[in-house]
Amino acid sequence: MNTATVIITIILFVIIIISMQKFLSGGTGIVILKKELKSIFYSPIAWIVMALVMLLNGFSFIAALEILRKADVDETLIGYTFSSTSFWLTYFFIFPVITMRLFSEEKKLGTIETLLTAPVQTIHLLLAKYLAALIFYFIIWLPSAVNFFLFRISSVDNSNAIGSFLGAYAIILLVGIFNISIGCLASSLTKNQLVAAMACFTFCMLHFLVGFILQDLPVPESWQGSLFYFSTVKHVQIFISGLIDSRQFIYYLSFTILILSFTYNVLEHRKWKT
Amino acid sequence: MIKVSNLSKQYVGRTAVNNISFEVDPGEIVGFLGPNGAGKTTTIRMLTGYIPPTSGTVSIGGHDVFSESIKARQKIGYMPENVPLYDDMRVREYLRFRAELKGLRGQEARQGVNEVIDLCDLKQIRRQMISSLSKGYRQRVGLADALVNNPELLILDEPTNGLDPNQIRRFRELIKQLGIRHTILISTHILSEVEMTCNRVIILNEGKIIANGEPNDLSRELRSASTISIELKTSEEKVKDLIAAIAGIKKVSKEHQSGEWGYFTIRTETSNDVRESIVNLANAQEWPLREIRTQHATLEDAFVEITQANTSDS
Repeated sequence: MNTATVIITIILFVIIIISMQKFLSGGTGIVILKKELKSIFYSPIAWIVMALVMLLNGFSFIAALEILRKADVDETLIGYTFSSTSFWLTYFFIFPVITMRLFSEEKKLGTIETLLTAPVQTIHLLLAKYLAALIFYFIIWLPSAVNFFLFRISSVDNSNAIGSFLGAYAIILLVGIFNISIGCLASSLTKNQLVAAMACFTFCMLHFLVGFILQDLPVPESWQGSLFYFSTVKHVQIFISGLIDSRQFIYYLSFTILILSFTYNVLEHRKWKT
Repeated sequence: MIKVSNLSKQYVGRTAVNNISFEVDPGEIVGFLGPNGAGKTTTIRMLTGYIPPTSGTVSIGGHDVFSESIKARQKIGYMPENVPLYDDMRVREYLRFRAELKGLRGQEARQGVNEVIDLCDLKQIRRQMISSLSKGYRQRVGLADALVNNPELLILDEPTNGLDPNQIRRFRELIKQLGIRHTILISTHILSEVEMTCNRVIILNEGKIIANGEPNDLSRELRSASTISIELKTSEEKVKDLIAAIAGIKKVSKEHQSGEWGYFTIRTETSNDVRESIVNLANAQEWPLREIRTQHATLEDAFVEITQANTSDS
């Protein structure tokens, strides 16, 4: 971690905080955010997703405990929990489910018209919907953290855990910030929720697999190496080992800003002159 | 209140709205009339700033819809066609959300919502889910939404679409009542609605304004060419020619023959009353005359006449 990356990370955070502050003072953004959160938690889907994620987390947690109990290994409990199959299963379905209805439902119902003809700035609408999805995402992951706290109380030796605990939740947050912006973009492009979900899923999948895909193909070694840099799997591995790498912060945050600006333009494109 | 100048909208290979200009003054109730596909909804969407015009400008209460979008939108209460609503919200909750979205806060918002609930008669359904509402109630919720921040201008796109006659009548009463405090632009293809509620009519066909005036004026213009129907007890072939020979008659057509009685429709050219000449002719020919009646042109006739004449031109 050198000074340059630290500075860029700080700049990105400042940009985000300034835009949030503008958003909060606007007022209408908060109104939409409240409404979005309400409609998320009033629908059964939210509770089904939360229950399922808790179940999967429980599985991976118990499986990780089993591994630690059986053998003398140098990985942490967190490391095993967040590299299990259940974790990646969660990773794949969670983003499409959270984001698919954001804009496509409005388009389908036609309410996008009443929304955009009300005195609301498009940027407020976008940020409100994005934040609502992100808050829901955090809430989904919250119960899993409780597992680790409970374990700490009765644990004897996990000196390594605090670093990898922070790392794991930092990467979950970062990946969420990024993939939810992808979901927003996918949802803003279509009025069909299924299409939005599939587009988001496909992207998450590719992002996960990039680096792996080329392993068996006859391509230069150097390509594989550089593409592996983009792979989510790689990032997760780095973070759960307890190394909180600012390069990943820059990577995810800058791409999130880019993708959200694409989404903004998709929402505004009807205003482009023909 | 509304000022539209040289507004055009072109889609790929098709001109939806073709260089229209009009103004609406504060306090007017204007009917925006036209057959389906005439460009009404496109025009309304440009007025509300939802889609941009290809060329031309729209200003609402002095604010340009695009350069001062938020200010212009604050003055508009808009109810789109088919009234899109969130099905997963309750009526009161939805109205509260819309009120806050339009900038009302706290006590103000509560008061605004209560007022429109009373005005649109939504009291007994205010706790119902929107998904369970009938078409008529949905329409009223849409109107309540448009009214909630007490905007100066109401734009209603086909507000009575899909309502039953009783509901339409009630809706009309409501519009009249609202016209006291608001400027209203209603788009519709139902003529009786316009005739009964509006001070002014703008008829749009194929993207162009083809008539703009008071409903009575429009029908009076046509009254010069009114229609007379008569019933004569005769089956002679020459009847048509004899009647057509009377000065001022444009066209005679026989509707049908029922027994000895023949039914004719006569279109007159001028505003001269030709009924006396027809009666004299019937007496001279010894045809018993059972009915003679002038049909005054209604707005409906005006509409049909104007829109069809224009369509056949192009």
